[in-house]
Amino acid sequence: MIGQYIPGHSPLHQMDPRAKLLFVFAYMFAVFLANNPATYGLLVLFTGIGIYFSRISLSVFYRSMKPVFILILLTSLLHLWMTRGGEALFSFSFLTIYEEGVRQAIYISIRFFLLMAAASLLTFTTSPIDLTDGMESLLKPFERLGVPAHELALMMSIALRFIPTLWEETEKIKKAQMARGADFESGHVFKRVKSYIPVLIPLFISAFRRAEDLALAMESRCYRGGKGRTKWRELHYSHLDVVLLLLFVILLTALWLLRK
Amino acid sequence: MSARKLTSIAFIAAVYAVLTYVFAPLSYHYIQFRISEMLTVLPFLTPTAIPGLFLGAVIANLGSPLGIYDVMFGGLATLIAAWLTSKMPNRWLAPLPPVIINAVIIGIELGTIAGIPGLTIPLAMLWVGLGELAVCYLLGIPFLLLLERYRGRIPGFNAKK
Repeated sequence: MIGQYIPGHSPLHQMDPRAKLLFVFAYMFAVFLANNPATYGLLVLFTGIGIYFSRISLSVFYRSMKPVFILILLTSLLHLWMTRGGEALFSFSFLTIYEEGVRQAIYISIRFFLLMAAASLLTFTTSPIDLTDGMESLLKPFERLGVPAHELALMMSIALRFIPTLWEETEKIKKAQMARGADFESGHVFKRVKSYIPVLIPLFISAFRRAEDLALAMESRCYRGGKGRTKWRELHYSHLDVVLLLLFVILLTALWLLRK
Repeated sequence: MSARKLTSIAFIAAVYAVLTYVFAPLSYHYIQFRISEMLTVLPFLTPTAIPGLFLGAVIANLGSPLGIYDVMFGGLATLIAAWLTSKMPNRWLAPLPPVIINAVIIGIELGTIAGIPGLTIPLAMLWVGLGELAVCYLLGIPFLLLLERYRGRIPGFNAKK
């Protein structure tokens, strides 16, 4: 799940969070440059190498992507059915599958996996504290424009930190309501969606209670904003980050040369 | 910014993101029923929800098939809609801004970038708008009414409108 951190000592874990954030941001644009088998192949290879060096098992990635499989399937089917062009590969009454449809369906699915893998790799290998420090440091130049860099980064990382917790809580509340006779599985889509309101209100109140507790904990530790705050651990770029930058430049050049 | 306000914003963002992920297959397509959008009525009760929803949309859209584009456009649309909702004169109009703003901004985004065959901009606007309309009114209004009942139990929600 996005937001989860898996501790480790891999090269990806050791990179500077700023370098990783910038890389993922740029990479998400770069993915859209791919438009033929060579470029998609290159991206898959690149992402595969990233996953290998993160030393995180594939099953973890599989679990983090599972919720969106249906979405990928839906989009692919839509392409198979609707996209026309090239040779007709298969025809049965109203359904004709064209070459272009198959190609687009495959490309879209790959792109989907690439984007998910990049976002997952970032949060899997970067601790919430590093992520916050990285974001804060990257947003610092915008402070002059009135962007509250410190607060924004802190809120973002609190939110990311509590997503898995609240997810678990949602499941727990759901089970608790089912034990009281709630039914989430039958009826048409609106009825089903509406049956979630008894889950949402407790979730919401519990979230606010946690927010209160956290605020109290912060205040009792004398938290008073970013101004004048010093850091125990400062961020430093290392040779690994230079390697990442070089790899990205090579990737971008290769994509540019290989694309149609 | 006080620690209390800061954590409230962060938790609104987290709840938005969790609801988007829990209902993931429904959340990202052009015929979308993003259940988390029912939270867009919150700015009507507290201005804390404006940055909260913005951050929530940014985090939630990190899991979108359109990646960084959805993060930018979705975040922007949510921010504008949340600000407008906080300015609405009564609760029946509170869910209207997210419907209109999302239909326009996300409609243009999906119609141009998504590359879904047969999906033109007006068609994308229509579908996104209908999905938002259903969620924001059918779920948003009951949610708002219930929250008003529990208002006393939720910190920062005491300002009567």
